[in-house]
Amino acid sequence: MDEGEEKFGQIYFAVLGAVALAFGAAELIASAGGGFTWGILDSSGATDPLFLPWRAIILLSVGFFYLSSVKDFAEVHQLAKSVMGSIMIWIVAGMAIWSRIASSIPGEETWFNSLDGFLASYAPPYCPEMFLLPFSLVIVYYIFKAGETEK
Amino acid sequence: MPLSVDERWDLIDKISKQTVTFGAYKHTLKDAIAELTVKPLTGIPVAIAVIYGFWSFFCDFAGTLFTDGFMVKLFDEHWLPWLQSVFPGGLGNPLYALMVDAGHIENGVLVASDTCFESFGVLTSGLFVPFGVVLWAVVAFYLMFAILEDVGYLPRLAVLVDTILHKIGLHGYAIVPTFLSLGCNVPGVTAVRPLETRKQRFLMITLLAVFIPCGAQIGIMQDLVPELIGWIFLTLAIGYLGFGFILNKIVPGKSPELVMDVPPYQMPMLRNIASKLWIRTSRFLLVAVPFVMLGCLIVGLMYLTGAMDWLAAVFGPLLMGWFGVPAETVAPLIAGFLRKDLAVGMIGGLMEQGIMTTFQVFTSVVLLCIYFPCLATFVMMLKEENWKEFLGSIASLVAMVFIYGGLIHLVGIMLGVA
Repeated sequence: MDEGEEKFGQIYFAVLGAVALAFGAAELIASAGGGFTWGILDSSGATDPLFLPWRAIILLSVGFFYLSSVKDFAEVHQLAKSVMGSIMIWIVAGMAIWSRIASSIPGEETWFNSLDGFLASYAPPYCPEMFLLPFSLVIVYYIFKAGETEK
Repeated sequence: MPLSVDERWDLIDKISKQTVTFGAYKHTLKDAIAELTVKPLTGIPVAIAVIYGFWSFFCDFAGTLFTDGFMVKLFDEHWLPWLQSVFPGGLGNPLYALMVDAGHIENGVLVASDTCFESFGVLTSGLFVPFGVVLWAVVAFYLMFAILEDVGYLPRLAVLVDTILHKIGLHGYAIVPTFLSLGCNVPGVTAVRPLETRKQRFLMITLLAVFIPCGAQIGIMQDLVPELIGWIFLTLAIGYLGFGFILNKIVPGKSPELVMDVPPYQMPMLRNIASKLWIRTSRFLLVAVPFVMLGCLIVGLMYLTGAMDWLAAVFGPLLMGWFGVPAETVAPLIAGFLRKDLAVGMIGGLMEQGIMTTFQVFTSVVLLCIYFPCLATFVMMLKEENWKEFLGSIASLVAMVFIYGGLIHLVGIMLGVA
């Protein structure tokens, strides 16, 4: 990993960490106060209120993982923290997507959902982890870079 | 001609010079990630995320997709009405009641059941519970379990919880039988063999039999009382740790340390996952299906002969007075000896008939978890323990049920919900 890549990684994951922390704090407050939906952002826990506080704890941890990885980002133990933070986002966002897939297949009254009902299942609002998911994928580049260095 | 000691050491030197590379080992990214998952500060949030993923997958796969999405429709809208229309005898007939639908009383009139949870026939509840609910819960559980096992996460979880489990006389490895028991208590009880001392095995078996609900039971709970499941797990976890701590102080014997090999993380192999899933699920079904159907038959016969009413009259005051649950709970408690999932399903039936309050449902489900292991686990306990230990487990179990069940009732009274 060259210096430019390291610098970019530091700034990028510092910003992503701050956003994850903010989302985590919002979800924690939401879980105490019954949740909220703001435009396409959903922290209502309407489907699974039990999961909301746990999601908040995970997001806060992701934020701390990212932020603590920023110093000396290219060092393998520091990079591992960002990788771990991203994996945690993949788990939570992956399960949010899986939840939509699972509920989109069966219909309300019929065996299978209609096409409209199926597509409607994937419409917004989305939970914060789903917004973070594409941004967390940047870590894949750094994983490949670390692999090259190890070789 | 045998080599002398010096010659052997020379030979070892020669081989090692040719095969071993010496130098400073540089940590790889995989090593660094592996370290993060065992250090408490970073490992605990990761464990929360992993368990979150495990549980979310379980709920959506078993609950949303299969049970609610397809099986409830199949059994309640097609199978039950079809059997109700074609099976000879009709409502009130003893054979019909045993095989299809016992019905229930509404305003003094015997009415047909709307769901397979209520009907309680061998061909309705007896098939719906194992195939409509439990099968999918077990598949989801064992799939995730096999993935975690093959990725190499479970040994790390064992290291992470080692300190906590030492407080109850066990060590980190105990997380494996505990986790396995969340699928089915039978393999969980078998998995205590690697624990070194008889004390540790006794503690583990007793705690598993009392405080760990099986995947089948969890599947039914998730389907019937999803809003209570967090509280049920919290109550069971407090019991597991609290009574474990007490048992550790009371039971004589040693709880030595264990050195565990923690393998590196690796990509799981599809073939391994598939074969583990198949072996565990098919074994589970072989045990579960006959017991569920037998349970329906026995409970149905007890209702028909009046034995259930007699038992409800005898145990009713105890259940009401000490545990705060209605006398009708006696039927699920009896069925629970054969299959706990079936028994939770029966509580669902009582709930749908409006016989129980929410707190009574909560208490009944917790009681069902802790009051006695199912028959299959009971047999396995007999096999794994000697008579003295077995009687000790049963005595501990009875004491725990009365103390903990009474405590839950007391907390309910103090909170004004019981």
